[in-house]
Amino acid sequence: MAPLLEVRNLKTYFYTQDGVVKAVDGVSYDVNRGETIALVGESGCGKTVSALSILRLVAEPAGKIVSGEMLFDGIDLLKLSKDDMRKMRGAKISIIFQEPLTSLNPVLTIGRQISEGLEFHKNMSVQEGMEEATRLLKMVGIPHPERRVYDFPHQFSGGMRQRAMIAIAIACQPQLIIADEPTTVVDVTIQAQLLELIRNITKELNTSLILITHNLGIVARYAQRVFVMYAGNIVEHGKALDVYHSPCHPYTAGLLGSVPRLDEPRKARLQPIEGQPPDLIALPAGCSFQARCAYSVPQCLKEKPVLTEIAPNHYAACWVSQKGLREWQKQ
Amino acid sequence: MLLVVSFITFTLMHLVPGGPWSREKALAPAVVAALNARYGLDKPFFVQYANFLLGILHGNLGISYTYQDRSVTQILMQGFPKTAILGTTAFVFAMIVGISLGMAAALRQNTWIDYVCVMFSTIFASVPGFVLGILLMIVFSVVLHWFPTGGWGSPSQIVMPAIALAALPAAFIARITRASTLETMRQDYVRTARSKGLLERVVLIRHILRNSLIPVVTVAGPQFAALVTGSVIVETIFSIPGIGRLFVQAVFARDYGLIMGTVLFYSFVISIANLVVDILYGVIDPRIRYD
Amino acid sequence: MATTVNAANASSRPHHTLWGDAWVRLRRNKLAMAGGIFIIILALAAIFAPLITPYGFARQDLTAILQNPSSKHWLGTDGLGRDVFARLLYGARTSLAVGIFTQVIVLGIGLPIGAIAGYAGGRVDNVLMRFVDVMYSFPDILLIILIKAILGGGIYQLFFAIGLVAWVDIARLVRGQMMSVKSRDFVAAARAMGGMGPYITERHLLPNSLGPIIVSVTFNVPRAIFTEAALSFIGIGVRPPTPSWGSMISDGYAVIFASWYQVFFPALAIALLMIAFTFLGDGLRDALDPKLRH
Repeated sequence: MAPLLEVRNLKTYFYTQDGVVKAVDGVSYDVNRGETIALVGESGCGKTVSALSILRLVAEPAGKIVSGEMLFDGIDLLKLSKDDMRKMRGAKISIIFQEPLTSLNPVLTIGRQISEGLEFHKNMSVQEGMEEATRLLKMVGIPHPERRVYDFPHQFSGGMRQRAMIAIAIACQPQLIIADEPTTVVDVTIQAQLLELIRNITKELNTSLILITHNLGIVARYAQRVFVMYAGNIVEHGKALDVYHSPCHPYTAGLLGSVPRLDEPRKARLQPIEGQPPDLIALPAGCSFQARCAYSVPQCLKEKPVLTEIAPNHYAACWVSQKGLREWQKQ
Repeated sequence: MLLVVSFITFTLMHLVPGGPWSREKALAPAVVAALNARYGLDKPFFVQYANFLLGILHGNLGISYTYQDRSVTQILMQGFPKTAILGTTAFVFAMIVGISLGMAAALRQNTWIDYVCVMFSTIFASVPGFVLGILLMIVFSVVLHWFPTGGWGSPSQIVMPAIALAALPAAFIARITRASTLETMRQDYVRTARSKGLLERVVLIRHILRNSLIPVVTVAGPQFAALVTGSVIVETIFSIPGIGRLFVQAVFARDYGLIMGTVLFYSFVISIANLVVDILYGVIDPRIRYD
Repeated sequence: MATTVNAANASSRPHHTLWGDAWVRLRRNKLAMAGGIFIIILALAAIFAPLITPYGFARQDLTAILQNPSSKHWLGTDGLGRDVFARLLYGARTSLAVGIFTQVIVLGIGLPIGAIAGYAGGRVDNVLMRFVDVMYSFPDILLIILIKAILGGGIYQLFFAIGLVAWVDIARLVRGQMMSVKSRDFVAAARAMGGMGPYITERHLLPNSLGPIIVSVTFNVPRAIFTEAALSFIGIGVRPPTPSWGSMISDGYAVIFASWYQVFFPALAIALLMIAFTFLGDGLRDALDPKLRH
């Protein structure tokens, strides 16, 4: 079956006073129906920008989707008119933002903010919308939803606000939900609850999910496939368990090594990755990760690696990996 | 607060040299004494003040010493409608022009509209009503003969004073609105609204407008107060028989009653305006309501 | 195996002091510079007025009344044959004097009160701020008129009248600065030198608050000038023969239809001077704003 969403060679640049920031520089990924994929990488690697690009919410005039294709159910989103794109947003594809504190309008009730999409896409009246909003609040686990639906954002706690954001995202029963670091700003205990909630809902509604995160700890449990991003490119992708157990890119290995794991002996030290991500305005000629990589060879400096299949359905963009010299896996 | 104001005014008033009977031709001392006795002006200071306060409780603001046939309340009531109409017209005008210009500038940032708005608001925020009034008068009354120079009665007589009075607040409001709208446009929740696929128009009105206006409402109160005080001079220039002009005349004539009455009246109006603004603020911003 | 880490991504930017940086930014602001230059030129013209024009401001020439601008009288003459240009220049002296001296009084009253309120806190602060609130709820022009009426006299009393009402803004400003500095340095001061508390706040307070004070003063000057003009227009400002743009306007008001130049030039002068100060004030505010530093 064709994937629900196919992003092909997406390039989104930002034109600033200091130069052109190549936030997303030729990224391709796909999501199947009902599947959850994870888009992983550290801050600033372009994952949020690629998600915003799907919905064409990139801030103009500074930001621009320069080239690429985004096929949703066969339709190229980049070729849609503004009106048609608007009909997609919220109805077919929706997004849960990272910052629940600032992502909600302080002067509107929670209920209204949920029902807005319903009023617009499903032609509901305000009354009907509020009723549906109450039902949705119940679904995301807000107690006393019939009262809470008339509350304002400042009366909700951080975790509750994020649940409200989830409610907003699922209101019109979209086919694809993008969750941009949905748990970064909440406590660890709430994180688990929210992720379970998201997983249950996506299973129940058979929605596809793009889970954007820098937290590798949650990837294996919630996503079927993983795409690892670095400095605007995908450097590795494959089935979550495969990537987890045998990473084919030193960066992925580094990420895994820097996360504490319960199944490792306690005295093993965390291995952070040395150095800083490169400046996206002045990317090096060869591999972007080379400067921080402990395994690089001269070829890495000269040529930018291309994604190649290292193992069945497991791709990585690394010269060393292609040659089979994956020393990092032995640690 | 009003109490303090009234006390201070009363005190100051009595400190003004000369009494209400100072005329060009000095009256005979006996006459002055008799007049003082008649109006209770020979009583000790605090007694006079107490009497005054008592009078207020009965809605009586005292007697005017220049217009001896009418009470202060009556005089104020005569002047009030004119000042009120002028003030309200100017205020509404200032808000409408200021807010529209400010929002237009923010939404079309860096276009000519933005540039015009910034220029306009900077220039007119510096020139006070008094000066602008004179300049307008010169251009439009004297040279072009489009408008009369003053007086009261026909709509054309209100145009220039209202513009002169409204220009500064309008410019100031435009500035605030522009800054506030720019700030609001950058907020995350605007992006959320767009991500729901709402029409741009809806995003604008429901999400951007309402939030942008919050700081504007905050300044509306002080702007109104400024308008009120500005009207004092503008009325004098344009010969509008309103309360402002009455005040000026009263000070000259040492008309205690009228002075007290006008100052109290102005303070009262300003307090009411601030109260209204506070209430409005609660209506617009729900965060304030529940604290 | 390459191990060089790309560490030097952080570009070191030239380090300016607050004042040097502010001056550079101010210079770049054309409007502010234009405003400043205008003020300076006007001030110089006012000071050197006797060298610029042969006419005194009070010299009447009843043979040449209400004349239009000519080569003999550059801006014409008024109803008593006085040269308008000369009166304008000498009137500038009055306006600028009002601007400067009222601010001296404002600072003289406002700084100490604000500092005391902020530093002492508690009851003292409460009392002083109540007082400030009262003054705020007063329509300020009315108050100034009343005070001036009490004091009578001429220009010096006018300085007081205006200064006595306008100090509130500065007091509030200083108090705010004082309180924020107090809370910041409190820990350090408490730990280190108890008695040196005032010294520390002086060292931190001045550089921080000098900026906003300068801006506030720059905006207050035109307001004082305007107030003087308005009061003189009504007749309770400066007394003749002291020249004043305000009284020029009121003199010319009566004959506005016969010769509008008389009212026009002083009004224009006031407008331009106020605009100049506003541009300068805006520029200063932007230049001194620490948040805009790169």
